[in-house]
Amino acid sequence: MSEAGKQQDNEFAIQTRGLLKQFASVRAINNLSIALPREGITSIVGPNGSGKSTLINLLSGTLPIDEGLVIIEGMSLRAILPYDSPNHGITRTFQEVRLFDQMTVLDNLLVILTKREVFGSLFEPPRASYRNRARQLLDSVGLWDKRQDMAANLSYGQRKLLEVSRALAMDVQIYLFDEPFAGLFPAMLERVKGLLEGLRRERKTIIFIEHNMDLIRQLSDYTFVLDSGELLAEGEVQEVLAKPEVIEAYLGT
Amino acid sequence: MLEKPVAESPWWRSLSNPRLLGTRLSSNVELLINFIVVVATIVFILSQGSGFGIRIAQLFAIFAILAVSLNLVIGYTGLLSLAHVAFFGVGAYSVAILTTDAAYEQVPGHIPHFGLSFFTALFVGMAITGVVALFVGGVLSRFRDDIFVLVSVGFAVISHRIFLFWQPVTRGPFGIHAIAKPEVGGMVIDSRLEFLFLTLAFLVIVFLISWLIVRSSFGRVLMAIREDEQAIEVFGYKARYFKLTIWVISAMMAALAGGITASEQTFIDPQSFVLLESILLVTIVILGGLGTLWGSLLGALVFVLLNEGMRFVPFLPGELIGQARLAILGIVIVLLMLFRPQGLVGRFKL
Amino acid sequence: MKILNADKRLPALPRSIIGHPLVSIVVAGVIIYLALLLGQSADQFLQFSINGIVIGAIYAIVAMGFNIVYGTVWFFDLSYGAMATMGAYSVFYFTGRQIQTVGRGEINNLYLDIFMGILIAGVVAWVLYVWIYPELRSRINRITLLAVGALVALATGAYTGLILAHPADLNVFLSPTIGLLVATASGCVLYLGALSGIGSGRGLILFLVLGLPGALALGGYSGWLVADTLSTRLYLSWFMGAILAGASGLAIYRGVYFYLRRQARSPLVMLVGSLGFLLSITAFIAIIFSPDGRPLAQPFGTVPWSLAGAFIKPFQVLIIGIAFAIFGGLYLLLNKTSFGTAVRAIGDDEEVARIVGINTPVVIAVIFFLGATIAGLGGILLGEDIGIRPQMGLLLLLKGWIASVVGGIGNIYGALLGGFVLGMVENYGVWYIPAQWKDAVAFVLLIFFLSFWPRGLLPRR
Ligand SMILES: Nc1ncnc2c1ncn2[C@@H]1O[C@H](COP(=O)(O)OP(=O)(O)OP(=O)(O)O)[C@@H](O)[C@H]1O
Ligand SMILES: [Mg+2]
Repeated sequence: MSEAGKQQDNEFAIQTRGLLKQFASVRAINNLSIALPREGITSIVGPNGSGKSTLINLLSGTLPIDEGLVIIEGMSLRAILPYDSPNHGITRTFQEVRLFDQMTVLDNLLVILTKREVFGSLFEPPRASYRNRARQLLDSVGLWDKRQDMAANLSYGQRKLLEVSRALAMDVQIYLFDEPFAGLFPAMLERVKGLLEGLRRERKTIIFIEHNMDLIRQLSDYTFVLDSGELLAEGEVQEVLAKPEVIEAYLGT
Repeated sequence: MLEKPVAESPWWRSLSNPRLLGTRLSSNVELLINFIVVVATIVFILSQGSGFGIRIAQLFAIFAILAVSLNLVIGYTGLLSLAHVAFFGVGAYSVAILTTDAAYEQVPGHIPHFGLSFFTALFVGMAITGVVALFVGGVLSRFRDDIFVLVSVGFAVISHRIFLFWQPVTRGPFGIHAIAKPEVGGMVIDSRLEFLFLTLAFLVIVFLISWLIVRSSFGRVLMAIREDEQAIEVFGYKARYFKLTIWVISAMMAALAGGITASEQTFIDPQSFVLLESILLVTIVILGGLGTLWGSLLGALVFVLLNEGMRFVPFLPGELIGQARLAILGIVIVLLMLFRPQGLVGRFKL
Repeated sequence: MKILNADKRLPALPRSIIGHPLVSIVVAGVIIYLALLLGQSADQFLQFSINGIVIGAIYAIVAMGFNIVYGTVWFFDLSYGAMATMGAYSVFYFTGRQIQTVGRGEINNLYLDIFMGILIAGVVAWVLYVWIYPELRSRINRITLLAVGALVALATGAYTGLILAHPADLNVFLSPTIGLLVATASGCVLYLGALSGIGSGRGLILFLVLGLPGALALGGYSGWLVADTLSTRLYLSWFMGAILAGASGLAIYRGVYFYLRRQARSPLVMLVGSLGFLLSITAFIAIIFSPDGRPLAQPFGTVPWSLAGAFIKPFQVLIIGIAFAIFGGLYLLLNKTSFGTAVRAIGDDEEVARIVGINTPVVIAVIFFLGATIAGLGGILLGEDIGIRPQMGLLLLLKGWIASVVGGIGNIYGALLGGFVLGMVENYGVWYIPAQWKDAVAFVLLIFFLSFWPRGLLPRR
C-alpha cells in the first residue's frame, strides 16, 4: 500500500467494503461501504429496522458477515469471530441489555477484568487490582453499594449503566454503544454522557446509536444515517440532520 | 461470588443458644433445610447402628462426588448433561478391567488381563475417561438447550450398550467380578470402614478442587457462559474451551467415583450404568441446588436418606423400593420447578 | 428476567459446518451400502425393510404427537413417554385376563379407578367451564349452569371409574356410550340430509317420523352388538387407553405446565419439569403393575402373511395404516380448519395470537390432549406388537424425539418422514452387528444429522 494510502487508512478506525447481511427475508445491511473516523464520538442514526444494530453486531462478531470486508486498523477481515473482537480493539454494549443476570454486580465486572486464557484464569488468585478497578468503574456509575446484588434485580436504568461500565472495563480503542441512552432518566443520562465524553478525552473511538436528536447534536462529532441497510448520508451533525432526504426518512416511514 | 450479605454472626454461634437458633431457623429457610437434613441423618444412623451408618455414608460419599462434579457442569456452566453416568461407567469399567489378573484366563468368556494395582488403574482410568470426555464434549459443544440434552442422553445410551454388548472387553451382562481392592503401603484396604475413609478422603479432595475452581476467575467465566454465552464471547473468552475444560474435569471426577465404586463392590455389571442413573443424578443436583457445591452434598444426603428410609415404609415390597423412590423424586422435581426452582439451598434458577 | 425473543424460541440447533458436497457423498455412500445389502440377500433386505417400516410407523406416530406440541409451545414434553406407557397399560388393564399373565396380572386397583375417575371429572369440568360456560352464561342462570356442569363432570368421572372397576366387562359398560354416539351421529346425518334434500317443512316431519326412530334404533342396535361381542373389547380398550392418556396429558398441561410456562426462563425448566412427570408416572405404573415386561393379546392372530420371502403380521399392516391415518387427520386439522390456523398462529407468536383474540389456553390444551392421545396410541401399538414394560415409554420417547429432529422439528411432515427414516436406518444399520445395537445406531444417526443436516429433512418454514 502506498504511503498516501496508509495515511488515509489511519484516519479511520473501521472501514467496511460492500458489507452485506441477509436475514431470511430482509437484507439488514445492503452493500454498505462506510469509513468510521478515528477518535471522537460518531453517531449512527436511522429509522427503526434500518440495520444499525445489525451493523454493530457484524463489527463485533456477534453475527457472522455474509459478504464484504471490514478493515480495522489497516487489517482486512472477511470474518470476525466474536472472541477476537477485543483483539481488534473492539467492545460493545447490547440494545436489549444482556448482563449476566444471576451473578452479582461485582462479578459482572470482575469477569471482564480477569485473564482470558483457560488455564491462566484457572490458576489465577483473586487480585486486589481487579477489585480496585471494578470499584472505580462501579463508583463511576454509582453502583458500588449494589455490588452484592444480583444483576437481575437492578432497575432498568441501573442495568443499562452496568452494561456501559462493563464495556468501559474492556479498555480497548473502539467502543460500540447500541442505544446507551434509551429509557434512561435525566440523571442517569447525564452520567452516561459524562462517561462517553471521558472516553473522548482519552482519545478513544466511540460509536453510538441513538434516536434522540438533541443527544445526537450535543455529543456527536460525526454522523452516519442508515436507511434500509444503506448509507443515506454522512457528515457533520448539523448539516446531515438538515438534509431533506434524512428528514424524509425519519418522518416518512 | 458465593458471598452472601454478611450475616451478623456465624450461624454455628447460635448452636449454643437455643432461642437464637430458633429465630434463625424460622427466618432462614435454607438454614432450616440444612438443619433438618443433618439432624435426620444423625437420628437415622444412630437408630440403625454403625454398620448401617457406614453403608449410608459410603453411598453418600459416592453420590456426593458424582453430584458435586455434575453440578460443575449443570449448575455452574449451564449444560444440562445426562451423560454423566457414561463417565461414571467408563471409570468403573476401566478400573475393573485394568485390575483383572491371570485368574480371568479361567473364566468363561474371559477378557484380557492387565493386573494393574488399584491406584494405577484408577489413574489410568481417569485419563481414559478424560480422553473420552474430550471427544464427547467436542461433539456436544456444538449444541445447546434441548438438543444438548438429547445428544447427551444419546451418549449415555451408547455407553450403556457398549458395556452391555462389547463382550470381549466388558464381559457384557455377566459383569466383572473380583475387582482388586486398593493397597496402601502393603496394607490392603478391605474393611468397609477403611474403604469409607478412603472414599471420604477422595470426596474431600474433589470438593476442594471444585471449590477452588468455582472461586477462581475460571469459575466466574463459567457462570457467565451459563448466563449468556454469546455475550461473554464478545468480551474475548473462547467459551468453547472453557466448557470443554470443565466438562473433562467433571468427567474425570465421575470416573474417580466409578473406580472407587467398582473396587468397593468388587463387582460391576451394566445395570449400574443405565440412563436412569443419570436422571437420578440430575434430580439430586437440582434438588440440592444448582450452582452451589454445598447444595450438592445436601442433595446427595437427602437422596441417600430417601433411598434407605424407604426400606422402613410398611407394606412396600422390597422389589418396589427403587420404583417408589423414583416416584417420589419425580414429584419432588415437579414441585421444585414450580415453587423453588433454585433447589433446597441454591441460588441459581434454571 | 430474560425475554425470549424470536431467535431464542427457535430450536437450539447449530449451523451446519459442512455444505452440500459432503452430504451428496454421504448419500452416495448410503445408496452403495443399501445396494450391497440387497446384493447379499434380497429376502433379508425385504424383511429388514418391512421391520423398519413397521417400527418406523410407530416412531412416526410418537414423533407427530411430539411435533404438534413442540411446534406450538416450543418445548419437548417428556411426559409423553409416560403417556405412551399409560396407553399400553390401559390395554393390559382391560384385556390382561385374556392371556397368560405373570405376577400381579389380575389387577383391579380401586385407588386407580378412583384417581382416574377424579382426573376425568376434573378435565371434563374444565372443558365445560372454558368452552360451554362462556357461551351460555348470558342466557341461563349462572348458578344453575355451574351446578349442571358440575353434575355432568361428576357423572362422567363416576362413569369412567365404573368402567375401570369392571375391566372384564368393558364392552358392556361402554356400549351405552357407543350406542349414544352412533345414534347422535346418524341422527345428525339424517337430519341434515332430510332438511337439505326435501326442504325444511316436510323434511322435519319426515325426519321426526322416520329418521329419529331409525337413528335411535341404529344406536341401540350397535350398542347391543358391542355389548354382545367379546372381541370388541380389544378395540374399545385401545380407545379407552388413548382417551385416558390424552386426558392425563391435558390435566398435566392445565395443572402444571400452564403455571410453569409463565415463570420459565428457558426451555430447560419445562424439560426438567416434564422429566419429573415421566419419572413418577412410570414408577407408579411399575408399582401398580409390577416392573416386569409382559406380552399383550395379539389382534388378528399371530400368523404372519408371507410376502416374497419376507413376513409381515396383519397387525403390523394396521400399524402402518394408523400412522398414515393420523397423519391425514392431523394434516386436515392443521391446514383446513380455523383451529389449525390458530395453532399455527400460536406457534409463530403466542403473544400476538392472544392479542388478536385466539383463546390460547384452550387451543394449547387441545393440542396437549391430541398429542398425548397420539402418544398413548403409539404406546398401545408398540405394546401390542412387542409387549409392554413400564420403561417402554422412555425409549419410545427418545426414538420419537430423534425422529422429530431428524425429520425437522415442529411439523408433522418431518415427523412422518423422520419416523420412517429412523426405523429403516435402525434396521439396516444392524445388518452386520447384533440387533441389540439398534438404540446406539439411532443416536449415531441423530448426531450425524445434527452435524450435517441440523434443520432436519423437512424443516418448518
Ligand atoms: N436475528 C435476526 N433474525 C432475523 N431478522 C433480523 C434479526 N436481527 C435483525 N433482523 C431484521 O433486520 C432488520 C434490521 O434490524 P436492526 O435490529 O439492525 O435494526 P435497527 O436499526 O437496530 O432498529 P432499531 O432502531 O429498532 O433498533 C430488521 O428488519 C430486523 O427485523
Ligand atoms: Mg437496534
